[in-house]
Amino acid sequence: MSYYKMSEEDLRQWVDHLLSKVTVYGVQAKGDRFAFNALNDSSSLRLDYDVTILPPKKYFLPPKETLLSYKGQKYDSVVDEKPFVLFGVHPYDLAAIRQMDKIFSSDNNDIHYMTRRNNATIVALDVQTPSAHNFSGNMNTAVIEGEYDILLTKVDSSYVVDVRTGKGKELIKGMSGLVTAEMALVDSRHKVWEENKSRLRAYPLKPSLSEIPGLLDKSREHPVWAEKAELCFSCGSCVMVCPTCYCFDVQDEAEWDLSSGKRIRSWDGCMLERFALVAGGHNFRKTKEERYRHRYYRKGKYVAEKVGEISCVGCGRCVSACVPGIANPCEVYNRLKED
Amino acid sequence: MSKPRVAIFDFACCEGCQLQIVNMEEEIIDLLSVVTPVEWREAISDQSTEYDIAIIEGSITRPEDEERLKTIRDRAKVLIALGACATIGGVNKLKNNFGMDDVKSSVYGEARDMPHLSTYPTKAADEIVKVDYKVHGCPIDNREFAYIVKCIATGKEPVIPYYPVCVECKEKENVCRFEYGEICLGPITRAGCDARCPSNGAWCFGCRGFVDDPNMNAGREILEKYGKTVEDLMHRIVLFNTGRKEE
Repeated sequence: MSYYKMSEEDLRQWVDHLLSKVTVYGVQAKGDRFAFNALNDSSSLRLDYDVTILPPKKYFLPPKETLLSYKGQKYDSVVDEKPFVLFGVHPYDLAAIRQMDKIFSSDNNDIHYMTRRNNATIVALDVQTPSAHNFSGNMNTAVIEGEYDILLTKVDSSYVVDVRTGKGKELIKGMSGLVTAEMALVDSRHKVWEENKSRLRAYPLKPSLSEIPGLLDKSREHPVWAEKAELCFSCGSCVMVCPTCYCFDVQDEAEWDLSSGKRIRSWDGCMLERFALVAGGHNFRKTKEERYRHRYYRKGKYVAEKVGEISCVGCGRCVSACVPGIANPCEVYNRLKED
Repeated sequence: MSKPRVAIFDFACCEGCQLQIVNMEEEIIDLLSVVTPVEWREAISDQSTEYDIAIIEGSITRPEDEERLKTIRDRAKVLIALGACATIGGVNKLKNNFGMDDVKSSVYGEARDMPHLSTYPTKAADEIVKVDYKVHGCPIDNREFAYIVKCIATGKEPVIPYYPVCVECKEKENVCRFEYGEICLGPITRAGCDARCPSNGAWCFGCRGFVDDPNMNAGREILEKYGKTVEDLMHRIVLFNTGRKEE
């Protein structure tokens, strides 16, 4: 573990240095919002972003990807082995990646996801500008300890560069004029962290996190499901923008010779009408209400029991993506707690 | 399986969807390795009454169209509706919001009563005959057309998006048009276009028709939240989806 001190200008020089060696995905403006995209030079990199439209999940589980190509009975797996740097990941998004890593490496190890993940170096960044809907303070993900290769924290006008792993060291290697951060500066990050823990709470959350699975257990017939689902478009926006949603569909696409082709994996979501449609035509979550309820059970109970933490990191993307305004998890968990 | 014979017929439309097939350019040769066209007014001069697959472009706007469509259906094993005019009636249904005499006067003036200018309220192909496959959109996406042709050739059921445009719009990392205070038909419109209009700064016009179960009740309540009225919404819906069952 080593700590360096950089000015914003040093930092951009470092990013330009990285860009001469490796693909770097960083946050850039997209209209009046922000998105992770491939960087061409450090000048477009935004470290003051509030939240990106899509989470960085897209670099590990892209919206569409080829799993294999086939010809007759033969097939070859398609695995993307290109190394890359993900620059400026906020703690809540990193917490989501931590959950996804567990999901994709347990049971059936997913080589497509895990190869990308293993080839990625993650430079995390403590939040500087809170987004309007961020409630990661409620979810214990406003600040993260570990999981990153490097963590950047802006303290006053300089950055503390916390190099945590071998991959992180590799990234900083060859930078001239590195200045070791004095311990007082390193320690002053605690002030930033405490502040972020308390200010990244756009919505109150009444139940404690450990209380949520039990609360759901006894709320299957709660009126909130029907009330909210009444307005649901089943448009899947809430799950498409979610950093902890990972459901997918797999379809084959044939070439014109009709015997060769590709097997494509694409994002799917439990809020979509035919998500639970099975062979024989039975849909075991036919109504909007069942699907709406399922999302909360999955986040607050099923996946939570599997990965050991609530499968919501409080990024607030679902809140802003939902046109009818029914996707706020805090609102729903609070209702369950109140009644 | 021997190569199926395909005939393409146009009804009331701009023929832009046929043009999308012509626009496949180098892939046309591949297409011809899978099917044999026997009638296709925009591309070949042959005509035929014997075919396996009939592709219908355009909507039905006259009684005589209806008879012609039924004849085509009788001759074909498989019938494909090509493009919004055929799949949902499309922009041709705009006239259904008016009386037919007004429509005729407006378009043809003094000549309105001439026999070849007869008209009746527009219908989509499936309002008259059984349609086996639909290639949605205005115009169609020729990649989707190619996919459907390949599925038919291999005996596989094509998987066409049944969910709203929002899914693809999110994948494109667009900001929701509603966040900019605009009405967008994305939440009730069938996806499959890669959210082309919202990705290029416009709202969704609804050209692929509604999803199977659009939440129209939600539509009304949500409009208030964004300071819009049902009238604002209907103004946009009628362009491609006049008279759809959910109104």
